[in-house]
Amino acid sequence: MLSGIANDLERYMNLLSARQKVVASNIANADTPGYQTQDIDFEAEFRAAAGGTPAAFPVSGLPEKNDGNNVSLDREARLLAENGIRFNLASNLMRTQIQEIRAALQSGSNP
Amino acid sequence: MSLFSAMAVSASGMSAQRTRAELLVENLANAETTRTPEGGPYRRKDAVFASQPMGAAFGSLFEEHLQEGVTVEEISLDSRPPERRYMPGHPDAGPDGYVAFPRIDPAADMVDLTGAARGFQANVAAIAAVKDMLMRSIDLFK
Repeated sequence: MLSGIANDLERYMNLLSARQKVVASNIANADTPGYQTQDIDFEAEFRAAAGGTPAAFPVSGLPEKNDGNNVSLDREARLLAENGIRFNLASNLMRTQIQEIRAALQSGSNP
Repeated sequence: MSLFSAMAVSASGMSAQRTRAELLVENLANAETTRTPEGGPYRRKDAVFASQPMGAAFGSLFEEHLQEGVTVEEISLDSRPPERRYMPGHPDAGPDGYVAFPRIDPAADMVDLTGAARGFQANVAAIAAVKDMLMRSIDLFK
């Protein structure tokens, strides 16, 4: 019943929460020796037709500390905020989709 | 629900940082301790972190490989020899007048303690962000 936009929004929100989980793992492992920062390729995952499981890969080009850990808390804080804002936008868009359907239902019951 | 397990990952980070802070505080408190139940001076302790795959809350295998929590793998004891200070009047002084003290640098431990506190805060911020996303999903029902 919901339009194709709502399906895309759903996948977008799913990917955002997957990415937020990767960011949470990176922050939790900020002091783990040898841990490499993980991320998902957001655009490629979104373009892939089948939802499937997003693949995590190590991020290159980050400065590595002496213990082999390359988590940058600044980078993770930025991603954390960015994901939150994107999710906020997507959930507001989704709400308008639901409200449209609700309006259609109500106009049918109260002519 | 993948966002709940993101909270579990951040909670594991908070717990690990808290353990580390507890050990650092113990080191500071025992910086001058010359007697321990094991004998000899106190030895500095430190937490060794290791990443750990988290089990999904409701057996959902989706994205399980994305989440890596953190755990305290071992508590390492300082293997360096104790610091020797010449204090002939001290009750624990050896025959040569030297006393073995723990090799603890309070400045280094304070810096690590600040790092543990900041790491804890970063995990709290991650939980707050994930919680906000969850609440916005719930708001869709309104």
